[in-house]
Amino acid sequence: MLKKRLIFILLYCDGYFMLSRNFRLQRVGDLNWLISNYDFSHISFFIDELIILDVSRNEKQTKQFIDTLKTISYKCFVPIASGGGVHSISNAKILLRSGADKVIINSSLFAKSDFLVNLSKEFGNQSIIASVDVKKSSEHGYQVVKKSGSEIVNASLTEIFNNLMQSPIGELYLNSIDNDGTGDGYDFNLISLLPKNFHKPLIIAGGADNSNRLFEGFKNPSVDAVATAHLFNFIGDGLKSARNKLIESGVPLPIWDLDAIDCYKDIVNTYD
Amino acid sequence: MKRTVTVIDYGMGNIWSVKSALEYLGCAVIITDDNAVIKDSKYLVLPGVGSFRKAMVSLCNSKLDKAILDATLKNKSKILGICLGMQLMGTKSSEDGETDGLGLIPKTVEKFKESNQKIYKIPHIGFNSVKSGTNSILFKDLADQSDFYFVHSYRMLSDGNGIEATAVNGEVFLAAYEKENIFATQFHPEKSQTNGLALLKNFLC
Repeated sequence: MLKKRLIFILLYCDGYFMLSRNFRLQRVGDLNWLISNYDFSHISFFIDELIILDVSRNEKQTKQFIDTLKTISYKCFVPIASGGGVHSISNAKILLRSGADKVIINSSLFAKSDFLVNLSKEFGNQSIIASVDVKKSSEHGYQVVKKSGSEIVNASLTEIFNNLMQSPIGELYLNSIDNDGTGDGYDFNLISLLPKNFHKPLIIAGGADNSNRLFEGFKNPSVDAVATAHLFNFIGDGLKSARNKLIESGVPLPIWDLDAIDCYKDIVNTYD
Repeated sequence: MKRTVTVIDYGMGNIWSVKSALEYLGCAVIITDDNAVIKDSKYLVLPGVGSFRKAMVSLCNSKLDKAILDATLKNKSKILGICLGMQLMGTKSSEDGETDGLGLIPKTVEKFKESNQKIYKIPHIGFNSVKSGTNSILFKDLADQSDFYFVHSYRMLSDGNGIEATAVNGEVFLAAYEKENIFATQFHPEKSQTNGLALLKNFLC
């Protein structure tokens, strides 16, 4: 049976990891801070996937970001998706060769080009996560935005969902800017607007800051994976206790031997 | 010399992760597209993320296909194909038109049946439980129905040839294959936490 997924998101901006609230960023700490508070060589055993996004507002995909991706992914045996400013095949290729298993595409989803088709011919649909950021507007209901929420996409939510159904993407990563960082829980109304025949795996984000919120997400039958980027609330053994609670509550998460990791270190000690 | 594993680099794998897992287990890892090195390697890993056609074109252009066949068929080197790497070892795939594979596994690669997409989405992404085959080397000491990470839209089917492990996504499909020196997993052991490390260890020991 296919299991549900608990995803942790790291937001990287100009050398620092950030806390985000309604897409306004607050600096938390650099890679050293991250490693001392989140040792991913062990913490990753309490998540099913890691998302590492470059949300730098200026230059993205710098050598520093790629090196950070390599550092975090090394000896971290969990799937990693990465993105932020991916506009070309070569952008995607760098990520996929630096520890990422999947690439996340946001602003380029809305470019009028055959970018997605070319990307999928190169890496396959399953490597592509379409990331859609949504914001409420009093006049227009939900609006999709791009470029870190700074530009409105000139199409309705329905049109965009319908286009994505026809696009060569693997998954949809749906994020509510209004709920982002608030702890108010996921926007289930937004999820309910997905077309009934949208059959791609769905990752939801925006609004979950504790295990109860994550649990609410899992209860929605359309949801395959729940994500949180709350860098403060899961420090130390936060992810461990959240995962344990979710499993106790009956969420079908995958199981592995958590204590076994150290016994695999240098186990292949036969010599040629 | 530590046990040396050669990871075949044809420009399309998640090579960093494979290297990371093998080094954690204690191996020396060579990442190469050098035919001579590949031919002489005792342990080969064929990784892969991407489309079947592009990957085969890349393998053929650099004559890596011949090097892999020489190593595995003549020298009997052990090979582990991962995800697309497993599919490339099949006879052919219907992805992006029909393309011939390496032919190390006598099975064809086709897209998941779309009959029941409401429950079983395509691509098949996430950890899924795997039923291991009898007398499997790869799954030795692993609990039956252990979870492994999959991310794919195309699959092989079980047909009784070789030692077969299976998983279910709307239909029973081939999760892993082994026969003599030929090993393959549709899932990513390097991304499957301790279950994956255990499986890689079994391949190497």
